[in-house]
Amino acid sequence: MSEDQLDPVIHAPVRLRITVTLSTLPAGDTVSFTRLQDLMALTPGNLITHLRKLEVAGYIRMDKTGSGVNAVTAVSLTDNGRAALENYTTTLRKLLDAVSPDQPK
Amino acid sequence: MEDEPGRDEQMDAQRASDILQDARNRAARALVIRRPVLFAVWGVAWLAGDGAIWLSVRGQRPYAGPTPEALMTLLFVLAAATIVSVILVGRAASGIGGLSALRRRVLLLAYLAGFVAILVLEAAIDHAGASRGVVGVYGAAAPVLLAGVVVAASAAALPDWSVFGLGCWFLVVGAGSGFAGPVAVWAVSALAGGAALLLAAALGRRLRRL
Repeated sequence: MSEDQLDPVIHAPVRLRITVTLSTLPAGDTVSFTRLQDLMALTPGNLITHLRKLEVAGYIRMDKTGSGVNAVTAVSLTDNGRAALENYTTTLRKLLDAVSPDQPK
Repeated sequence: MEDEPGRDEQMDAQRASDILQDARNRAARALVIRRPVLFAVWGVAWLAGDGAIWLSVRGQRPYAGPTPEALMTLLFVLAAATIVSVILVGRAASGIGGLSALRRRVLLLAYLAGFVAILVLEAAIDHAGASRGVVGVYGAAAPVLLAGVVVAASAAALPDWSVFGLGCWFLVVGAGSGFAGPVAVWAVSALAGGAALLLAAALGRRLRRL
């Protein structure tokens, strides 16, 4: 097995952290862009770049409400995103088991 | 750990695993409402509030009801517990929308509506000529029954059987404590209800560490 089998959309430090953070929320919950930015400690430009990659892959949803200074963007993990993270975690575990099969994970 | 926009940093499987675990822990600390702390706060408030009422009514023959000072103490500890809860929940739930926020609002409204209904019914019982003792038992037990129903119902949204069990215990305390009479009902409620919440807080903290 090699790391090429890991989903490239999730297999980047920032996007992995974003996906894992969103997966902590129960299905049906959203987090505002500003709270997510605060949690990730990223600039708005950096965060939106990674969010767009996840959105294009169908892993997250971004819903914008309001306009101007009252605009709020709500971010949530889609069912596809939740399944993709589960697959990623399973593949990652197999990779680590293959490297050191005796060590407990 | 901010990488450049659009540029994907390389990482091996072990680093990915470390990031995944770290992100999980950080998100849990930041986004999950700390129920053990809430339980501890309300456990202390319950013990102190109902305990103060019991201290003011013990030895009353016949039962005359709590003193204004004891009622003020009860209101003070309830207000303090409410403020701490609002801060704790507000910190974790800031920026979080969707189903969880809606469920919390519905449960809070149901609890407030139930509490108003309890006060109105207490006035009606008093108006119908019930003795001070009957009104006292009702005043002590009814809020516990309401808390039991709301806590047990909230377990459905979590979902968490231990929270359902706690709600059912409140129902047992609320219904059973009435048999202790208008004076001892406050002591039974304070000890059985408050102590149960403190126990739930201690168990919750222990489970989080495992």
